[in-house]
Amino acid sequence: MTSSMPAARCDAAPGHCITCSDEAVPMRVVDIGRDAAVCTDESGAAHEVAIDLVDGAAPGVTVLVHAGVAIGLAP
Amino acid sequence: MKFVDEFRNAQLGRALAGEILAELQPGRHYKVMEVCGGHTHSIYKYGIDDLLPDNVELVHGPGCPVCVIPMGRVDDGIAVARHEGVIFTCFGDMLRVPGSEYTLLDAKAQGADVRMVYSPLDALRIARENPDREVVFFAIGFETTAPSTALTLKRAKTENVANFSCVCNHVTIVPPLRALLESPDLRLDGFIGPGHVCTVVGARPFEFIPLDYGRPVVISGFEPLDILQSIHMILRQLSAGRCEVENQYTRVVPREGNLNALRVMSEVFELRPHFEWRGLGFISQSALKLSDAYADFDAERRFDVPGVRVADPKACQCGEVLKGVIKPWECKVFGTACTPEHAIGTCMVSPEGACAAYYNFGRFARERTAV
Repeated sequence: MTSSMPAARCDAAPGHCITCSDEAVPMRVVDIGRDAAVCTDESGAAHEVAIDLVDGAAPGVTVLVHAGVAIGLAP
Repeated sequence: MKFVDEFRNAQLGRALAGEILAELQPGRHYKVMEVCGGHTHSIYKYGIDDLLPDNVELVHGPGCPVCVIPMGRVDDGIAVARHEGVIFTCFGDMLRVPGSEYTLLDAKAQGADVRMVYSPLDALRIARENPDREVVFFAIGFETTAPSTALTLKRAKTENVANFSCVCNHVTIVPPLRALLESPDLRLDGFIGPGHVCTVVGARPFEFIPLDYGRPVVISGFEPLDILQSIHMILRQLSAGRCEVENQYTRVVPREGNLNALRVMSEVFELRPHFEWRGLGFISQSALKLSDAYADFDAERRFDVPGVRVADPKACQCGEVLKGVIKPWECKVFGTACTPEHAIGTCMVSPEGACAAYYNFGRFARERTAV
């Protein structure tokens, strides 16, 4: 869980830039560190995610992530 | 993945299309607006439009954050990016939005240090790693994105990262919807509500639509079955003579929203008296600026910005597209002078823009048969 972790995808080319849209993606919390959590997306790729704004984020829980920040819990 | 695969089931999709057909009143034409650009993208990516009968028309709303940025704000961003020693950061699609003369990508090619980030927190990290440089984040987006900017600014203040600042272009979704509902150009029967905005703000801000304008709203998820079910719920309300805000996306959207996110947003932001929207003009109290407590992090106070209003190119009909008055392929320059590679209008820049969604998924004209 460091800045060397690959950033989540953000395409400037035609495709789907979820950051520029109003779309959030579900990710599963794997580990929680001091400033951020490590979460995995649908493909299994790991991302650094700030979980300050959601109550109840814990390993195994699925959060809804937008622009590197969890904005809600998903089932 | 759970709650993703189940909502892409083709057999269930066809069954829902049948149920939609069963709700229709003979001879009536239905116009339903999907507010969010993410929905527009999903509708064309999954071919949802093709599953609908001819008399159910989807109208694309103003909920693509890139598409509503006026050219003057892009010029302001470029002016900041060109300041000596500035590292200018923004989301990917924002790089290609045309200003009056250049895009941020052009500015980068001309020597400005412009960098794409996935999160405003990445911009703050760049600021920590470059204490001798000014790092500016160009913030765009609706209430889905505003919490991430607010959290970043709160951390910047706590850690006293003095070389970090933000050009705030965050907008709010309710005022443009009210403006659209007041517009004589457009008659809408219902709204597919923006699921992830509602994750933050909840369902309550949309209650004025049924109360004041008599139109149903169904807050929707982004998978194909979510959208089909939401259309079905709107039609069911209409055929039953009901009119209310319903939540199709209950697995994610709590009725009261995310109170933690709303709290940090209210600490960091305050409403601007008015803000210009591309194609829609100035709308009162429709955007956010940094509150006085965060004024030190406001790039518009830290740097000289032109702040000049720039008229859209005459050929561009983004305004009519954003209001749902015309379909993208009815624009004079769609697919000819204006393409994703050489966009004239913002609706062609972001994949969430209605024009780009039509172009990328081959909807060059409406040729559809009744289901």
